[in-house]
Amino acid sequence: MTDPHDELTPAERRAFEALSREADAPRGLEDRTVALLQARGVLAVPFRPVRAAPRYWQPAWLVGAIAASLALFATGFAFGQYLGARTATIAAAVGLGGSIAERTQHVERTGSDYVAALAALSQSRDTNDVAGRQQATQTALSALGAAAQEVARLAPEDPLAAAVLRGLTERRRQMQPPAAQRAVVWY
Amino acid sequence: MPPWPARVAGLTGNLPARRGNQVDGYGSPSAPRGPIRVTPEVTAPAVAVPERALAERVLAGDELAFRQLYRRHTPRLFQLVLRLVGGREADAEDVVQETWLKATERLGSFRWESAFGTWLCAIGLNVAREQARRRSRRPEVDWPEDHDPPQAAPLDRVEPLDLERAVAALPAGYRTVLVLHDVEGYTHEEIGVALGIAPGTSKSQLFWARQAVRAALGSRQKGSPA
Repeated sequence: MTDPHDELTPAERRAFEALSREADAPRGLEDRTVALLQARGVLAVPFRPVRAAPRYWQPAWLVGAIAASLALFATGFAFGQYLGARTATIAAAVGLGGSIAERTQHVERTGSDYVAALAALSQSRDTNDVAGRQQATQTALSALGAAAQEVARLAPEDPLAAAVLRGLTERRRQMQPPAAQRAVVWY
Repeated sequence: MPPWPARVAGLTGNLPARRGNQVDGYGSPSAPRGPIRVTPEVTAPAVAVPERALAERVLAGDELAFRQLYRRHTPRLFQLVLRLVGGREADAEDVVQETWLKATERLGSFRWESAFGTWLCAIGLNVAREQARRRSRRPEVDWPEDHDPPQAAPLDRVEPLDLERAVAALPAGYRTVLVLHDVEGYTHEEIGVALGIAPGTSKSQLFWARQAVRAALGSRQKGSPA
């Protein structure tokens, strides 16, 4: 009961021809399709570089870091020891070059060290070592004389420095052996 | 007699390109329009790459080549499939995706004796029919051969939107024949080969489909104010 000669009317044909031939596919369909194809191995998966472990977690780097830390600690420790062992004279020499106030502070600090060293020497209980005590006294007086000379250079009119130098000269003259036996002049 | 033969038409690319103003069966071979997301790395090249070259790159796993091929053909495929599934966009998405999966799997055996787009639409047609059969819990109810068709006179005025709705309301088998014949321009012989039915069956189903569309449009026009 069909009509083999059924034809569209011009209006119907126009209506069919007016229908769109293309339509935009929904967003995301392309990416989903690509992902499926990648999962199936049809399309290659884009290369994503594997993120390497941070360098500081690598054993060689860790050992190196520990060694460097130990070396740094040892260097600092040795330098501290070195500074602590320096004599007041070397420290004074190192301190040269500052202002008057800085040099005065340095004299004060090293003078205190000098007095403290003398105090330690005088409190020695080894009274039987006569020669040692004489040597210690000579050494202390030598330092005192050198200091007095510097003070005299700093303040030529200062009576105390002059008196110290006169006293030391007198003492040296008294203790001076006969001319044939003189051997060493300290200062 | 069921409206569709049990045998599904082979994916042989038997649907020739139709509509003389189209290139390779398409309105335009240019890059897709509208809201399809364009990632920077896949912008359309100034000179269109031949489809065969793109296909060969796809076979080598080239994602960008696939995206170019996809964007060139999907608008046409999506519109066809959307009509075949009665306007259900989600179903059309599934069919288009499955169509591309099948097409890429079988791309190596495609002999390029027909246009790529035509071959792709043939695949889409079969996927849509498979999906319709798989998803319907009960068989599609078509009109029997001895059923009286809706009586409707040819129309002098048809609105495209009304026509689209009337086509979507048809039973699936009739809708497929009507879309392939009256919208896509295939002959009954070509439809018969593509769907695995006799050309006479295609003619019969087209006649019933047109009658149903006319009836729907006629009643709509009667119901609307003059």
